[in-house]
Amino acid sequence: MIWLQALVYFSFTVFVLVVLAKVVKYATMPIHLRWELYPVPHEKGRAEHGGSYFEEADWWKKPRETTLIGELKDMLMEMLFIKRVFEYKRPLWWFTYPFHTGIYLILVWFALVFIGALFEIAGFPISTALVQQLGFLSWLPPLIYYLTWIVGVLAMALMLIFGLGLLFRRLADEGMRSYSSPIDYFNLLFIIAVVATGVAAWQYDSDFAVARSFMKSLITFSPLPSVSGATVLHVVLLSLLFLYLPFTKMTHFFGKYFTYHKVLWEDEPNLRGSEIESEIKKVLNYRISWSAPHMKPGMTWADEVLKVSPNEIGVWKKEEEK
Amino acid sequence: MAKEKVRIEDISKPVEQLVKLTLDDLMPLPPPYDKPGEEPELTEPSPDWRDRYVTDLDGYIAIDLPWKPKTKEEEEELVKKFLSGLQKLLDKENNWTFLQPLMLSIEYCARCQTCSDACPIYISSGRKEIYRPTYRAEVLRRIIKKYLSPGGKIKAKFTGDIELNAKTVIRLAEDAYRCTLCRRCTQTCPIGVDNGLISHEIRKLFSQEMGIAPKALHELGTVQHLQKGSSTGLTPEGFKDIIEFIEDDIEEKLGRRIKIPVDEKGAEILLIHNAGEYLSWPENPAAFAILFEEAGISWTLSSEQVAYDAVNYGVWYDDVQLARVATKHAEIAAKLEVEKIVVGECGHAHKAISVVADRVLADEYNIPRESCMPILWDIVRKKKINFDPEKNNFPVTLHDPCNMVRLMGVVEPQRKILHELAPQFREMTPNGVYNYCCGGGSGFAIMQSMNFPEWRNAVAARMKFKQILEAFQDCISPDINKYVCAPCSNCKGAIRDMLDYYNAPEKCSIYYGGLVELMVNAMVDLEEPFIEWEFH
Ligand code: SF4
Ligand code: SF4
Repeated sequence: MIWLQALVYFSFTVFVLVVLAKVVKYATMPIHLRWELYPVPHEKGRAEHGGSYFEEADWWKKPRETTLIGELKDMLMEMLFIKRVFEYKRPLWWFTYPFHTGIYLILVWFALVFIGALFEIAGFPISTALVQQLGFLSWLPPLIYYLTWIVGVLAMALMLIFGLGLLFRRLADEGMRSYSSPIDYFNLLFIIAVVATGVAAWQYDSDFAVARSFMKSLITFSPLPSVSGATVLHVVLLSLLFLYLPFTKMTHFFGKYFTYHKVLWEDEPNLRGSEIESEIKKVLNYRISWSAPHMKPGMTWADEVLKVSPNEIGVWKKEEEK
Repeated sequence: MAKEKVRIEDISKPVEQLVKLTLDDLMPLPPPYDKPGEEPELTEPSPDWRDRYVTDLDGYIAIDLPWKPKTKEEEEELVKKFLSGLQKLLDKENNWTFLQPLMLSIEYCARCQTCSDACPIYISSGRKEIYRPTYRAEVLRRIIKKYLSPGGKIKAKFTGDIELNAKTVIRLAEDAYRCTLCRRCTQTCPIGVDNGLISHEIRKLFSQEMGIAPKALHELGTVQHLQKGSSTGLTPEGFKDIIEFIEDDIEEKLGRRIKIPVDEKGAEILLIHNAGEYLSWPENPAAFAILFEEAGISWTLSSEQVAYDAVNYGVWYDDVQLARVATKHAEIAAKLEVEKIVVGECGHAHKAISVVADRVLADEYNIPRESCMPILWDIVRKKKINFDPEKNNFPVTLHDPCNMVRLMGVVEPQRKILHELAPQFREMTPNGVYNYCCGGGSGFAIMQSMNFPEWRNAVAARMKFKQILEAFQDCISPDINKYVCAPCSNCKGAIRDMLDYYNAPEKCSIYYGGLVELMVNAMVDLEEPFIEWEFH
């Protein structure tokens, strides 16, 4: 069934490329005006109360003190615990947090299956038995075996139960329902369907041995082992999900990096002679085509600011008064 | 105007007015305002406003231009202009200033509504959909997806539909002025989506493409500022007269004359005040002069057009106007050869020149800019002046101006001063970077046309009024004078109007003022109290 492998390679490649393209798109946008929001967690000694270097007279003469730890802490709290939903919308957190934990776990599961497959390719079978050839590491294969099982089952359960829970919440919560479009339900249903077929496939592959063989065949470009119809369906759906994901707002996993690091926590001052200053000089040469009466379309930003005399600045007038 | 929930699609609905507010819907207030009849009734918009101005959203008018389209052609023209503006908003050259933050916020909202309850306006209004932080964002998002992306009309069936007609356009413009850009919602978003920014960008679209903005911000705001010297209309001569008057006043209070430095070349600091201070609260620049002189600081004011008014309304609705005003401020500082610009008690002027416009200034215009707060704290901390805190022995609470605190990170210096100099200082809850806006943010404080002040006082300022009452519940009786310290001209304006609207000076003896007034009031050298407990 080479087409199934081809589909997996294809969708995974598209996923990576589209995500990369989007990252590049955001990363290469021009510098923007500062728009940070406090607390900014890298402000050393000040993040606690939400302060900034502006709390210091002559701040621009002093070295800036930042802490990466503070930033990492806030990031991890958000990534691992979805802190803001916990604090500000607890009822939703009880659903969204286990669901996202399920996603993280399924990624861990993929990693475990991948590692397991590598072991098997190297000739060390993954099962409940110790592998003596590995010497003092003989316990590794059984550890992988059990971990894969526990993580996989737990991930499926969390995603399935709380995926349905999220669907239900979206319908039950007034505010969420009225803002939801068909696509929002479709996205959730899609994920639930992928997980459900995963559960079905698992019925024929209780210890994920087939999953590992499948991974092996993907790594070694060798023919597929024979798999159940449920597995085929699952892999097809999963591949389609991977194809679809990067085109949706579900890519917020990297969007979030930009919103925090490039906007809300971005407080780099424009000091004389700094790199920021030279970037600014570049964008000030962009041209404006805004057409309000106080604009001179066609001019650069710099000229709009410096060359338009105050008396040339027009204001809106009703047609008949013009 | 039924009670049923307004949906996103309803913004285009062909009804006269989408929502009607009633007192019963609004968030209840603490004592003594917990009984019916304690606050003014809400009024209907006057019928002759309806054809010329946009009353189509909630009956209130923020944009006081007669811009409502009358004919089919005018409507079509408006929609066309709106779309061309929207295109420019998404364009790198026209909107490099906010393209990245805007695109991220358009793209990544999960519609989880975690942000809704953070919004003081949404909550105060009794959770009216049109004020929900995500409402205008979702409208804009749907318009972009449907009208500006390939296959949008079909995709809209799945991703959320909307109809773009003249009603949509005029209501969206008004709705962008039902948000104070306080960005409290943004703090709670797990993805970092910024619905305050969306309001800001919608305002920009209307201003930069069509010149449509409240007169107080544009025509009488930034335009007047650049043309006449101040958004208050104050001229250089008028300014100099006021300075003389302030010097007289100081002499009376301090017992000796201070020469206020104006246009002094080579001073270390160019101090810029919101010109509203000179006209409405001259005691504030007076207090600054006393403190700076007594502490031996090298400083000057400028009498040059634009520079004697620190405001920069561009920060609320127009990036080009923002850049023009900020550059003018910097240019004058450069000419005076000062070491740095220091902003007095004006929150948005703080944020505009230090944070937002930081990235429009280069080379000779790139002059260091900072807040007055750390300098004031240094005066207290280093004991440069003798203070007697007992002189301030009355209840004081602190209002945090969003622009200075949540949006700039100047949080502690003002608190440290109050802890030192105000024995009965108590915080509001929440406070600091999690504060609530005074209700006057993003220009609302100065927008006084038609029925807009009613909306501001009843809805936008409601949460702050509640907080103030709560902070003073232990001493709410009118026998005790209480002081709301608001180190920001616009906040002071909003708080003045709010206290007046609810008749709070009379009912509860709640007064307001700046921080420097409290500092001077505590000076040992002053024989008479500086604070006069007089509502103005
Ligand atoms: S802005 Fe953020 S908190 Fe609000 S609905 Fe969107 S994702 Fe949720
Ligand atoms: S910025 Fe402030 S006023 Fe505007 S929607 Fe957010 S919380 Fe509400």
